[in-house]
Amino acid sequence: MMIIIHCSNRTVQSFFIEVKVSQPLYINGVPVHDLYLEKRPIEGYLYINGVRAKELSGGAKYQLIEPTLFGYFDEICQLFTGNADIDVEDESYLPVSIQVNGKRVFKIERTGTIFTMDTELGLNDIRHISSKIESVFRVKVIPLLRSVGLYG
Amino acid sequence: MVRWELVKFKVERVNEGILNSVINFETEILIPETRKVIAVIYNGKQFTGLKHEYLVYEIKSKLERLLESGLIRELSKHSRKAEYRRGFSLRKISVYAEGTLANLRYVYNDKFLEFGSVLVIPPYKDWDKLCKVPLTVETNAVSDIKSFYEVLTEICRSAIRIHFEVVTVNEILKLILQETGV
Repeated sequence: MMIIIHCSNRTVQSFFIEVKVSQPLYINGVPVHDLYLEKRPIEGYLYINGVRAKELSGGAKYQLIEPTLFGYFDEICQLFTGNADIDVEDESYLPVSIQVNGKRVFKIERTGTIFTMDTELGLNDIRHISSKIESVFRVKVIPLLRSVGLYG
Repeated sequence: MVRWELVKFKVERVNEGILNSVINFETEILIPETRKVIAVIYNGKQFTGLKHEYLVYEIKSKLERLLESGLIRELSKHSRKAEYRRGFSLRKISVYAEGTLANLRYVYNDKFLEFGSVLVIPPYKDWDKLCKVPLTVETNAVSDIKSFYEVLTEICRSAIRIHFEVVTVNEILKLILQETGV
């Protein structure tokens, strides 16, 4: 599964993450373990399975983390000028596709047993970008989500 | 010196039994002016296309150096089988007025790693340039994205050695061209 991030002028516009939680969230009275978290373009709110997080039971704690969470995504977006679309693998938290201003500058594809990477960037740039993204997720985003029961 | 173009460069060591390994080498050089192709083949016993035997040892030792690449060793970590083959070759060779670009392909058993395009003739000057220019990387040695990224890191970590491997290719070609009188 992929984490999808859209940046504009070094700021996060939207993101989409699928997560599985052991303690279910009750959405419209139904216990749910499979969640998708999103920030929609322009809006500055966190949505969980399409519902504004603050409207859910215990929503205050979700609302409380919104600015910090969005700030972490801004850290990723700082890496890119203009509009950027980044697909991140949700197991490794490493990018598999990057488009800047509509142009694909990096892509890893898997066909059968063969992995192919095509890029307009140097490997040093890719390693710098990927290590930043991985670190933001592992050290910041995931622990924050876990702290309010939105991960693991 | 007459203008020449590299067409093929491939070296491989195949294990035939526990104690017996054979190096196979094949290179082809085109002389565009005369459309003549210089083909040099080594089958583990003798060179075809070389007149003087004294170069055999020198070329063979350089070929062995290519087969000791750190990237082949890296590939070996991803193969569960005992070694039966390792190889180094240039693929997708493109000749331009400024130089020759090619992909470097490393093989260990059924695993491969190929990346490029790299300026192979003349060899690119700064070893650290390798990871600053766009490259296409392809491998069947890994099973997930994280391991793929580790391979990318290994390419950059081996940049100095890769540079010397490209230099070694040029040295081998130079010996062949001198010997064949080009």
